[in-house]
Amino acid sequence: MGWLVALAVGTATGVLSGFGVGGGTLLLIYMTAFAALPQDLAQGINLLYFLPTAAAALPAHAKNGFIERAALWPAILAGLAGAALAAWIATALDVAILHRIFGGFLLAAGLRELLGKSARGGPQARDRKAR
Amino acid sequence: MKRETGRPARRRAGGKSRLTYALAGGAAGLANGFFGGGGGMILVPLLTRLCGLDQRRAFATSVAVILPLCGLSAAIYLFRGSLELTTALPYLAGGLLGGLLGGKLFQKLNMDWLRRIFALLILYGGVRALFF
Repeated sequence: MGWLVALAVGTATGVLSGFGVGGGTLLLIYMTAFAALPQDLAQGINLLYFLPTAAAALPAHAKNGFIERAALWPAILAGLAGAALAAWIATALDVAILHRIFGGFLLAAGLRELLGKSARGGPQARDRKAR
Repeated sequence: MKRETGRPARRRAGGKSRLTYALAGGAAGLANGFFGGGGGMILVPLLTRLCGLDQRRAFATSVAVILPLCGLSAAIYLFRGSLELTTALPYLAGGLLGGLLGGKLFQKLNMDWLRRIFALLILYGGVRALFF
């Protein structure tokens, strides 16, 4: 039955991942805290999980014109370099420490996102109404 | 395809934004490889604040950017031995279903709510990782 729960959890977080909002982080939390998987295995699964999830969501995003094409190449190329370096280090490190660093980062980012004033302002902050 | 959303005020990409996109992508890549996820949490705020994208474009674009990064990181995790495909399989199948649904629903989402949910998720994740 474990796989059925995993399927359901993957589907639920997949919706959020498809939006681009932390579905993977929730999945990581589920896998480490509830499914009792070791942190490094959970991280690997989470990476793999994003491949079908993002691939499934992207055609709709592209069709609806929400992808900023100018961003793709610079961000992806730089991102690949960063990801290669960091994944190499992470697979050699004590993941418990990584987990804490990640926690601190999330806390700071979440507080800023929740409490911080919108830096976007103007019509950009309310794209729904402008359409 | 220049003005897909019909909003007149969107900034066009220039030389400067190519650099900021690269910076944002690089930071997201580091987080993505290091923590096995969470790249979007870095990328979305950077895309809106640093690169000036509106929120909806930032979220959707981050999905496209993170995808290849996850592919590379996953390959390294696989190669370095911390990945079991059989354990991963149900999550992958679920993700596929959820991703399809997410892509379809995205257009109808209220971005202010999405941002709040996003913030709460991040906070929850942070508290969990730090204290549990």
